[in-house]
Amino acid sequence: MASPVSDPLFIPVSGCAVRISDDKKNQFAMQESQEEPGVYEVYIDSEHLTPGKSFKINIITPDGTSIQSDFDRMPPCPDVGDVYYEIDEIVSQYTGQPEKGIRFYIDLDAADFTSRFFKWDITETWEYRVDYPREWYYDGTVHHIYPPDYSRKVCWLTQRVKEIYTLSTTNLQENRYSKFPLNFASSHTSRLIYGYSLLVEQAALSEEAYSYWDQMRINGTGLGGLYERQPLSITGNLHNMTDPDQEVLGFFSAETVKSKRIFISYVQGLEIEYVGYCTPVLLEHGFAEITPSDYPAWLMGDEDNFYMVLLSDDCVDCLFYGGSNIKPDFWPY
Amino acid sequence: MDCHLKNSTFKEFSGLVFDQTGVRIFYRDEWVDKLKITLDAYSVAVSEALTRILSGSDLKVSEWYGDLVVLPGGGLLAELPAYAQIADKDVLPVKKKEAMTASEERYLTGRGSGVTQTIIIGRPGENVANNRVKALGRVIDEETGEPLHFVAVYITEAKTGVVTDVNGFFNLTLMPGTYNVQIEFLGYARKKYLFEVYSDDSFVLRIRKTAVELKEIVVSGERHANIRAKEPGFDQVSMKSIKTLPMLMGERDIIKISATLPGIVTVGEGTAGINVRGSSSDQNGFYFNKIPVYNTFHLFGFFPAFNSDIIRDLSIYKGYVPAKYGGRLASVFNVTSRQGNRKLFTVHGGISPVSANLVFEGPLKKDTSSFLFSARSSYSDWILTRIKDPTISNSSAGFNDFSLGINRDFRKTQLSMFFYRSYDRFSLSDLNSYDYYNNGASIILGHNYTNALRGEISLAGSQYGFSTIDRQQPPSAYRHAYKMGHYEIRADFRHVLNEKSTLEYGSEMIFYLLDRGTVLPYGEMSLRNKIELGVERGIENSLFITHQYDISSRINLNLGIRYMVYNPVGPTSTCKYMEGAPRDPRYIEDTLIFGRNSIIRWYHEPEIRASLNFETDRDGSVKLSFNQMHQNLFMLNTITTVAPNTQWKLADYHLLPSRSNQWSAGLFRTLPKNGLEFSAEAFLKLTRNYSEFRDGADFLSDDPVETAVLQGNHRAYGLELYIKRSRRKLEGWISYTWSRSFIQVDGNHSWFRINNGEVYPSNFDIPHSLTAVLNYYFTRRVFLSSILTYQTGKPVTYPESAYYADGSPYLDYSKRNFHRIPDYFRADFSLTLEGDLRKNKFLHNSFVLNLYNATGRDNAYSVYYRTQNGMIRSYKYSVIGVPVFTATWVFKLGNYVSD
Repeated sequence: MASPVSDPLFIPVSGCAVRISDDKKNQFAMQESQEEPGVYEVYIDSEHLTPGKSFKINIITPDGTSIQSDFDRMPPCPDVGDVYYEIDEIVSQYTGQPEKGIRFYIDLDAADFTSRFFKWDITETWEYRVDYPREWYYDGTVHHIYPPDYSRKVCWLTQRVKEIYTLSTTNLQENRYSKFPLNFASSHTSRLIYGYSLLVEQAALSEEAYSYWDQMRINGTGLGGLYERQPLSITGNLHNMTDPDQEVLGFFSAETVKSKRIFISYVQGLEIEYVGYCTPVLLEHGFAEITPSDYPAWLMGDEDNFYMVLLSDDCVDCLFYGGSNIKPDFWPY
Repeated sequence: MDCHLKNSTFKEFSGLVFDQTGVRIFYRDEWVDKLKITLDAYSVAVSEALTRILSGSDLKVSEWYGDLVVLPGGGLLAELPAYAQIADKDVLPVKKKEAMTASEERYLTGRGSGVTQTIIIGRPGENVANNRVKALGRVIDEETGEPLHFVAVYITEAKTGVVTDVNGFFNLTLMPGTYNVQIEFLGYARKKYLFEVYSDDSFVLRIRKTAVELKEIVVSGERHANIRAKEPGFDQVSMKSIKTLPMLMGERDIIKISATLPGIVTVGEGTAGINVRGSSSDQNGFYFNKIPVYNTFHLFGFFPAFNSDIIRDLSIYKGYVPAKYGGRLASVFNVTSRQGNRKLFTVHGGISPVSANLVFEGPLKKDTSSFLFSARSSYSDWILTRIKDPTISNSSAGFNDFSLGINRDFRKTQLSMFFYRSYDRFSLSDLNSYDYYNNGASIILGHNYTNALRGEISLAGSQYGFSTIDRQQPPSAYRHAYKMGHYEIRADFRHVLNEKSTLEYGSEMIFYLLDRGTVLPYGEMSLRNKIELGVERGIENSLFITHQYDISSRINLNLGIRYMVYNPVGPTSTCKYMEGAPRDPRYIEDTLIFGRNSIIRWYHEPEIRASLNFETDRDGSVKLSFNQMHQNLFMLNTITTVAPNTQWKLADYHLLPSRSNQWSAGLFRTLPKNGLEFSAEAFLKLTRNYSEFRDGADFLSDDPVETAVLQGNHRAYGLELYIKRSRRKLEGWISYTWSRSFIQVDGNHSWFRINNGEVYPSNFDIPHSLTAVLNYYFTRRVFLSSILTYQTGKPVTYPESAYYADGSPYLDYSKRNFHRIPDYFRADFSLTLEGDLRKNKFLHNSFVLNLYNATGRDNAYSVYYRTQNGMIRSYKYSVIGVPVFTATWVFKLGNYVSD
């Protein structure tokens, strides 16, 4: 469901009947995910998923509205080409100051393919650490954990890069492209300190799907400036069959996806300027400063003693930053 | 008169008097041969000067029929017919028919300023039948010898006025007799003449600049011009009139100043292009000495592409457009340069923070031929390097322009040649670079066949081109060069039939050659396809005639017709689409090939132009007009402003010429006592085949242009109010325009619709626009001027809701132009310190301190949204959101008034 611009919210609709059908009249009913209401999934056997086939989606919402998409043809996808990076500098959108980092690029070689429209989804994962293990804490009395608990010291954060990367090669002589710019990883964040991994998922799209995502990209990034263009009024391929005047936002696409993962442990010549958020607080008035709502209150210390210095969660708990302390299985060390 | 004599003879004095004022002094040599005259006076009345000279002698001066008689002893007897007879035979070439009126007498003997000069037109006895006299006059600057344009010549008795043309000519048709004539022209001393009209003749009036009447902003050539001018929706801005207005970075922009007049707006800073009466900017035709100019701005629209120092005036037709002009729906802007000093060589120039300019002019042959050369160049990069953003500090921008005008008068023929070039470049860091140019030349040959028939043949050519290099991403980097040519030959005749009727007729032929260029890969890395966008040719032929007819002394009718035939011509090829199907590459059925010079389509239709001017009384008039226009080319512009790489496109097999009908009605009134002038005009303009662009239109792709262009209807209407105060310590004008501008693109297939076929406001729909231009004179040499501008914000398309796709929020946008950006307000001030006003000096200096956007208001140029890191952020983009202070030094050889 759509939300106001001032407060964009993800409003899933639960309890829809959703099915996908192909151009051979096979139908695949989707099941709503248990963990994420409003997300529907289906496993379709690979025999039905040959490139060149077309698919469409039918949705019946709980209030009985029927939504149907056009057929979208699934083109074949070439292998993901080289993904690499170079040191780059951008102007920070927060501080207005220039900041260094690395910009990723991808090469595309689709010379043997008919697909001319591509989209890349980027997922980044990086390791980060908090400054202290969990060793001493106070919850009315002082406790000592020995050996110190290192389980919350190292974490890995995985997130989708929320930019759209689309490319059409129709204006090019050859179905190739080199050095297509992807995302930027700044040295002012924790990304490039202990290891960084990039998953590139390359999708070949139909022309309609490309045009939808490319227009979304333009509306999301390409406006403004002296010679600004009009925002585009983007129409997807979904139609409200119950009330044809009612606009349906979004696009149903059938894509073939290939992926590649690269790993960076150290960037030559780039100085990391990340300082972290941990600020230990000196307890000048002793434990009186700690209230029960702070329990367990972590304290700085060594093997033998604790100090009257309070360590908040951003110093001792890497989960606090949204990552996971379970090492991803693709992590090389 | 001015008199600077030392030990001169009386004869020299009387010669001086006659030269300056036309007043004759009658005397006998033996009476005055002993007189030695020493007199140093400015603006002294002749009679007073004479009295002073003769004091101490026994001679007395008497006034006699407008001339002066010096007699020993007593004065002249009131009636002395015999003497008059003798004088007639000996001195006067003609017999006077009427005595002077009391007021005329006052000019001779009374106040110092204003002396009536008699002009004798024809010879008595030549016009036995007492027919109407056709006279051809010319107004020339006494000091520089340049012919003067837009000088108002008013015949008091006939209650009619005429305005001089570019070569200073004007026609009169009068019954024989004596007439009081006033001449008014901004920056020149007001002058009165007595015309004694006998038979057909031509004559020259010389007027001189005045350093005294400094405080004057006159936008319409003359106080009464509004009442008498026969064309509603006509404005004229003379360069002198904007001498006192604030500037940005020391550059004075006559075209932007026109946006202070009602009905004309610009949509914010940095917009090249202006919108007249709710119309798009490609509907204005700009001509510089008859050269069509397709890009009138330097540097993103901040500066005019013309050197202000050589411009004499700008005339704007936006309501009734005479039939001799065509090809643009909204307006015609005629920029006229000066012709150059015909007596002396002069140099002047100016230095501002961004540019320097130099003008050099002088006679080629004294009194008959002159040249005017100008050059201007910018050195603005130092401003850019001071900006923090590395993208901008690594950018560079620059412009220059040159012009050369040559004029020559033969006996009855005038030849003018004009050459013009402007050039602009800018590169944005290493991302992209642009350059563009205008090149033009015109040759105009004017001839006076008779005193009532004048013809002009002109040849003009203009080329506009740009090239772009886009290297933001090496694999898709490209370069593209575009150029277009406009070549025309035209003949104009002006034929005065009698005192009530004048015909203007002629023909025009234009050849358009648009080379849309080739998109080429740039750099070794680029994989870009080579795309040839093709060459287009078009021929526009027109015949036109206008009849100006005075139904009575108060009612005047202009009725014109222009017949235009437009043909796009080959060689070219055009796609044919399936009947009724969208114009989409998928529906191409066939390709039509047209050979060299073969005609692709015939477009022809008459255009009716009519205006009626009704003078309600001495100080007021009502004007009505109807105006039909056609336009055969338009800009391919998906953005709201005019970018330097905007292509022009001709109407062709698929895209039709647009046409419009405009109705306007106006009310004009002057209150001479208060120095006030007021006008109100209402208009309605309906346009068909107005070109709009499909979403995401890309004009550098393989797809034919017609797949991205849709033609619809445009409707604009509004009310324009204007009030002006002149010749006061506080003077200026205020204009307010209420107008709306809507577009509807509603074809019979959903493909041919924009905004679902619903009406939407155009990008330049500015309902309220208020401008105040005010000057305050502390002294004649120190004055403060200001321009205050308020406008409703321009329409934009805003997001109305947000939704999630693939885990990120995205925006769903409103119907086209459903919202508006915040209102615009800006206040500019300038303080001018003129050097002293001595008449005879080597160098004149002035210093101008300017404050642009004094309130520092962060006017939104656009408001837009971006999705960044999965968050929707809104941004406001301002071009100049801070006050900008500049100081400019202007110098010129000569005094304040010299050009």
